[in-house]
Amino acid sequence: MDMAELTRKRDLPFPLYEVDIFSASDRDLMNISASMGLNLSLDEMHEVRKYFDAKGRLPTDIELQSIAQAWSEHCCYKSSKVILREHIFTIKHPDVLAKGDAGVMVFDDEYAYALRVESHNHPSAIEPYGGAATGIGGIVRDILAMGAQPVALVDPLFFGPLDLKETPPGVKLPKYLVRGVVSGIRDYGNRIGIPTVAGGVFFDPSYTGNCLVNVGCVGFMRRDRLLNNAVKGVGDVLILAGGRTGRDGIHGVNFASAELTETSEEESRGSVQLGDPITKEPLIHACLEVNERGLISGIKDLGGGGLSCVVGEISLAGGCGADVELDRVPLKEEGLAPWEIWVSESQERMMLATPEENVDAVLEVFALWDVTATVIGRVVSDQRVRITYDGELIYELDLDFLTKGPEYCRPWAPPSSASKESFLAPNLPEDVNAIILSTLADPNIASKEWMVLQYDHEVRASTVVKPLQGKTGFRGPGDGVVIKPLMDSYRGLAIAIGVNPWFTSQDPYNGGRSSVDEMCRNIAAVGGRPHSLTDCMNFGNPEKPERLYEFREAVRGVGEMARAMNLAVPSGNVSFYNETALGPTLPTPTCMGVGIVEDIRKCVTTDLKRAQNPVYLIGETKDEMGASILYRRYGGKGGKVPEVDATALSRNIDTVLAAGQAGMLRSCHDCADGGLAITLAEMCIGGDLGLQLDISGMGDLSFETKLFSESNSRFVVEVDAVKRSDFERLAKDAIYLGVVDQDKRMVIRDGHRKVDLKVAAMRKAWSDTLWRLV
Amino acid sequence: MNIQDIRVCVLRIEGTNCEEEAYNAFKLLGADPEKVHLKQLTGDCPPSMRRDLDDYQILMFPGGFSAGDYVRAGAIFAARIKSRLAPDVENFVSSGRPVLGICNGFQILVELGLLPSFDEILSEEPQAALYTNDSGRFECRPTYLKHENHGKCVFTSQLPRGEVVLFPSAHAEGNLRFPTDREMEIVRRLEENDQIVFRYVDADGNYAGYPWCPSGTVANIGGICNPEGNVLGLMPHPERVMFRYQHPDWTRDQDPNAPGDGRVIFSSALEYVSRRY
Repeated sequence: MDMAELTRKRDLPFPLYEVDIFSASDRDLMNISASMGLNLSLDEMHEVRKYFDAKGRLPTDIELQSIAQAWSEHCCYKSSKVILREHIFTIKHPDVLAKGDAGVMVFDDEYAYALRVESHNHPSAIEPYGGAATGIGGIVRDILAMGAQPVALVDPLFFGPLDLKETPPGVKLPKYLVRGVVSGIRDYGNRIGIPTVAGGVFFDPSYTGNCLVNVGCVGFMRRDRLLNNAVKGVGDVLILAGGRTGRDGIHGVNFASAELTETSEEESRGSVQLGDPITKEPLIHACLEVNERGLISGIKDLGGGGLSCVVGEISLAGGCGADVELDRVPLKEEGLAPWEIWVSESQERMMLATPEENVDAVLEVFALWDVTATVIGRVVSDQRVRITYDGELIYELDLDFLTKGPEYCRPWAPPSSASKESFLAPNLPEDVNAIILSTLADPNIASKEWMVLQYDHEVRASTVVKPLQGKTGFRGPGDGVVIKPLMDSYRGLAIAIGVNPWFTSQDPYNGGRSSVDEMCRNIAAVGGRPHSLTDCMNFGNPEKPERLYEFREAVRGVGEMARAMNLAVPSGNVSFYNETALGPTLPTPTCMGVGIVEDIRKCVTTDLKRAQNPVYLIGETKDEMGASILYRRYGGKGGKVPEVDATALSRNIDTVLAAGQAGMLRSCHDCADGGLAITLAEMCIGGDLGLQLDISGMGDLSFETKLFSESNSRFVVEVDAVKRSDFERLAKDAIYLGVVDQDKRMVIRDGHRKVDLKVAAMRKAWSDTLWRLV
Repeated sequence: MNIQDIRVCVLRIEGTNCEEEAYNAFKLLGADPEKVHLKQLTGDCPPSMRRDLDDYQILMFPGGFSAGDYVRAGAIFAARIKSRLAPDVENFVSSGRPVLGICNGFQILVELGLLPSFDEILSEEPQAALYTNDSGRFECRPTYLKHENHGKCVFTSQLPRGEVVLFPSAHAEGNLRFPTDREMEIVRRLEENDQIVFRYVDADGNYAGYPWCPSGTVANIGGICNPEGNVLGLMPHPERVMFRYQHPDWTRDQDPNAPGDGRVIFSSALEYVSRRY
């Protein structure tokens, strides 16, 4: 049947259609799903028909749109829930205070911190500046919705190779995407005054058609101000605060729940929202103030699905429903159909549940900041949402039906053995110096100062360990950053990222484990005890069994490690369909971790401090070169990906933290991409000092393996010469490598083999790359 | 007057975003700061929230992106003040009370005509501009400043002349410029008036170009005061370095418990007020 025959406009002065799903054939149902942009499967359409059949009436367009939002992969995690429940949701931790829009954890007796990371991949691939900016906007609202002040932003980014000159149709040049995304983060983050402190940027051809933009945020609050994204009960009214509602960002969640295609830009440009940091900045002030004054019952952010998701969720979380007068929603322009208002993902909006008697006080706070705030509905006891528009009832859905989206146990399968890569040794030049210099200049290793210096990483004045570390003007890399959130306490939050897409691609289980290992190392290296993690799982199309296998294995690895390391996982995000006709992106399990620093005055940075201080390697180096940057750069294939021994990791972290507490450490750097050689080089670069080392004590491994193996759970430490014997008593297994040297050369001996490089040459190789390529 | 009685108006509108650390800087030193929205001074608020600028002894414009900086940095905030509060501000300055503008605050002072303020307290039109950095980029990096004032500026009275301090910079528009045909002449006038407070230098204290001078500003100028010395505008952020552990390199052999370089700006002003009133 023709679509026109299946839809009937109600006789009203605004556009509202009833959709005849009763007389529709299966083919018609799929046509309806496609032409309305619902992205619902045939089975799901049958479910919808069954529901309305029982009600004995046809659905309106706004009802169908609302169901499609709620049932999208993005909103209801229908493909991932079963797997997450098995490996993540069951992790218990006594310090979790809330799991809502963001996770909330104990900081001390009086204070808490909130954390969350999510993806904004598809919008950023279409419109990098707006996509990245609104990604920040969204994650900040998640933190705010818990009642917390955002205190730090973290942005791990993944792009195609910067030197790519041509791309397939519909795909933008990586260089253009990098510039756009970084500008978007800069202009939004700097304007709202939240420091962008960490992140990282990764390059691989697989990200060319579908870049990944992950955005994380950490917030801070008094524990008695914690909100639970819920109404308190009947008597609460719903206040919509912040930006006006427009046609930007319609069907964002559906767009996020499908593969990108050549025509995505044309079809989905309208799905990308527009950010406005100067509406967001006062919105943050006003929301925090009404919370501080105890005027509200709950807040929830309007993200994916807009009003259609937030009204149902905030009401149901309090065991209630809501009546909404949709015509009261302030609009950007005239002429929006009710369904467009209901599902629009226009930015900078928050929903506040407020006891009736506090409404005037709340509106007064928003008025001072010139932020629009409007009462749009009220809480009712029945668990259903009813919408009127100009007095006409246009929507009535039971929340149980709406929010209990489908759940799938989709098939998964390991890749066939034929597609597994057989081992191929890399073709290495004889000159190890050349390998080190060229690896330092690899975009995946090279300095990220091109972007870091554009982000205000110090606003709020609480970033006490900064992203670039070293002698002023020399800017070496850091492992983690430390935020000191309180004026009158030295307790701090260490924040770091861990992710290795290449390990995960070759061995999803160990890739997931390695990502957590790296995150923990980065936190411990600055002096933090790993406490919680939030993960952003970026994977391909879950309807393909091999992709779901990767996801499942990586989640298993992350979950096992979280348990073993006693880490809470109070929030997380899954992003599927990171896939184009060219193939999937590398499976990318981004882990953002927070650690507790007992006393920030004992924090340690990566830069070498003083000549003659002894240098040690903590942790075991193994012949695990699979997916290492050495193999990737020099044509090695297959091989063993680093495994993780959680007991060893715990022990090594204990050693590093104990030595740090006792004031023995002068510098500390985790051993990650590029192995020991790159770790040592980076310590020289930041400290502008040299090293005189002999690594023959590392055991029976080849020189190249000692230098470039990326085995997990390792740290390089510089120990205060005065405390050398104390340290050796504490860290019995640490391998002595040599000393820091005034002569600015990195010299590493192993039998007759030798590295000998000037620090200045290494700095140049490491520092220039991104400036040259972007 | 006692320090704890000194009331500091930390003025803000939407997009002002360094008010927390500005507030904390004064609070730390024992003064009585308050975050005040511009509408509380203009009366566009409920009566209970109304404030009078005359009740404060120090006025502070914190950093940020007031109103998004969408026209020119600081222009919108300045225009709102000028249209509603110009007499109050003029009265405040002419009474000798200190006014501090950091980063966006400096941009606001210039747009407002309070700096460089050669001939009148509040010039009709801006006499200078804080132009886009030469690099064309937002620059967030540690910067060293040499104190060059001969004693006029009330915000640096406790800092010996010639001393070098580290205040971090974070701005895209910090390039102080005067009309091209008279630029050096105006710089000389600033020097003669003892209006130059800070110049950018390198780690060894020598005048240096990019990146030590992050903006390419004329004659390396990072901060200036009015001819009377009670209005200071500077691009780098002293309020971000109140403690040594906020410095970028404190893990290199520095005592984290020591005061940070920025403290002197706030303590000088408080000392001045407590002596004078």
